[in-house]
Amino acid sequence: MAADASAAPPAMAGPKGPLADFWDSFSENRGAVAGLVLLVLIALLAIFADLVAPYSPIEQFREFSKAPPVWEDGGTWRFVLGTDALGRDMLSRLIHGARVSLFIGLSVMVVSVTIGIVLGLAAAFAGGLFDTIVMRIMDLIIAVPSLVLAILVVAILGPSLTNTIVAVTVVYLPRYVRLVRASALAEIGKDYVTAARTVGVGRIRLMFVTVLPNCLAPLIVQAALGVSDAILEAAALGFLGLGAQPPIPEWGSMLADSREFIRSDPWIVTLPGLAILFTVVSINLMGDGLRDAFDPKLKRS
Amino acid sequence: MFRYLLRRAALTLPTFVALMFITFVAIRLVPGDPVEVRTGERGISPERLAQFRHELGLDQPVWKQFLDYVWGILHGDFGTSLVTNAKVLNEFATLFPATIELSLSAMLFAVLIGVPAGTIAAVKRGSPFDHTVMGASVIGFSMPIFWWGLLLIMLVSERWGLTPVSGRLDLIKYYFEPTTGFLLIDSWMSDQKGAFLSALHHLVLPTIVLGTIPLAVIARITRSSMLEVLNEDYVRTARAKGLSPLRVIGLHALRNALIPVITSIGLQIGTLLAGAVLTETIFSWPGVGKWLIEGIGRRDYPALQGGIMLISSIVIFVNLGVDVLYGAINPRLRHGR
Repeated sequence: MAADASAAPPAMAGPKGPLADFWDSFSENRGAVAGLVLLVLIALLAIFADLVAPYSPIEQFREFSKAPPVWEDGGTWRFVLGTDALGRDMLSRLIHGARVSLFIGLSVMVVSVTIGIVLGLAAAFAGGLFDTIVMRIMDLIIAVPSLVLAILVVAILGPSLTNTIVAVTVVYLPRYVRLVRASALAEIGKDYVTAARTVGVGRIRLMFVTVLPNCLAPLIVQAALGVSDAILEAAALGFLGLGAQPPIPEWGSMLADSREFIRSDPWIVTLPGLAILFTVVSINLMGDGLRDAFDPKLKRS
Repeated sequence: MFRYLLRRAALTLPTFVALMFITFVAIRLVPGDPVEVRTGERGISPERLAQFRHELGLDQPVWKQFLDYVWGILHGDFGTSLVTNAKVLNEFATLFPATIELSLSAMLFAVLIGVPAGTIAAVKRGSPFDHTVMGASVIGFSMPIFWWGLLLIMLVSERWGLTPVSGRLDLIKYYFEPTTGFLLIDSWMSDQKGAFLSALHHLVLPTIVLGTIPLAVIARITRSSMLEVLNEDYVRTARAKGLSPLRVIGLHALRNALIPVITSIGLQIGTLLAGAVLTETIFSWPGVGKWLIEGIGRRDYPALQGGIMLISSIVIFVNLGVDVLYGAINPRLRHGR
């Protein structure tokens, strides 16, 4: 797979563009390409869930409650992956669950990256008391174990899909703030920043246009890996009954509902977990590839 | 060294104060009246209500309540559970050994498998073994451990009948007074045959579940750190001297490769405690994680507040300890900055 990809771009003549160069490094890592392919597939399923899924995720076929998947005795093609205790089609719920999980993961990432950039840059540029206060708050958030903090936030706000996003965002915010602040501090001392400042570039422009683009590489890697962490964390909250509420087909809460059928109907337990695992593995594989491609120093170690 | 220690400790002080402030505010933001939880829904006379409010200090101004709260914590009073009426600190202290036992056991499992696996993968870089270890580590790192626990219960406990489904001990067969709270030690010291084995048996699956993510992390860090060390001059020198490969890797390289591994173990205490919440819930392991989740279900907010305060303080102090220890090992860190 890697050989095909690196031979394909006709960029051999002349210097390569940064994008082709990036793709070369990225596709060298076979795991990363596999992760990307799997992730694109899951994303397509999520986007076109309404078209792909055979049934509505909340439609109940009471007479087919706990039907086994098609390869087990008594399974039918009508419900390929079987049904849950309320007779809802597992396949449809899993496909729609991809939409819920990816939505949570991406929302958490977008919100925390945005706030992280603003707070991190502001802390790096302002320094002094503001910097100290922001960083101490981040230290505090880090001191509380992730899930415990998320539980506290949900306990205050009440369990729901939106509050899951809020809780997980709070938990993962410090990573981005610290990362942006550290890379901005490393850049601020450099000549090009001093030059821009001397020429009279305004503060906001200096922050977002001059410095920020040079801090992006590690941020992108962290953001990619952050999506998978957010999905896991949200699923854990769902499993504890503190996340998305029924009948939303969230993978973690599907697992929680199925705990009692662990002995009699194992597929109801197995499938949602596999869906979480596949999604998170594909994002992590892709993230590893991104890191290799962005940071030649870390490559192949 | 002493100055470094002092400065590092001083840095945690504001964090600690802020933690008290936030747990205090958070519990007041929670919907639902604590008095209502205590009295139930049948309603009581206004006089009794006022008396309850007075007992809980809720008739005081907010700043006074906060100072009382801080004063209490400084004197070891982390509040009183609304449900059991017991001191939160006492409940926590009774349950905490179960969580420590599980966490230590999980960490031991992760280190005992992760370090050798990472080392061999680094030495045999590019081999099928290396690929297997790296592949398994990505999967382990991505594992939803609550599902992993259910899966293991389904296979190992239900289908093969090898391990018990839940709890720490076969309570029908064995009973002894807890002395240390660590069941492995208590059962070993008791004269009841089989109690130790029963405790060990109960520990197996929770250990694997909680240890999976640390195992994946440790195997990965060991491998990459080992790869770096293997390129160092002193390793080449040791090889050139004609030392056996086992001695070179086991003695010269591993010792240096383990430094980042040890740091990561210290930093994973937070991850471990968060994972304990899930693991204890799945296996009905009577530790602080399960207790915290039950506290939410029962709306026992003082227990929640005290529990979060205690768990976070432990994480802060362990991280402080790791930092200080690291400063002692690595002088560059001590004098720098």
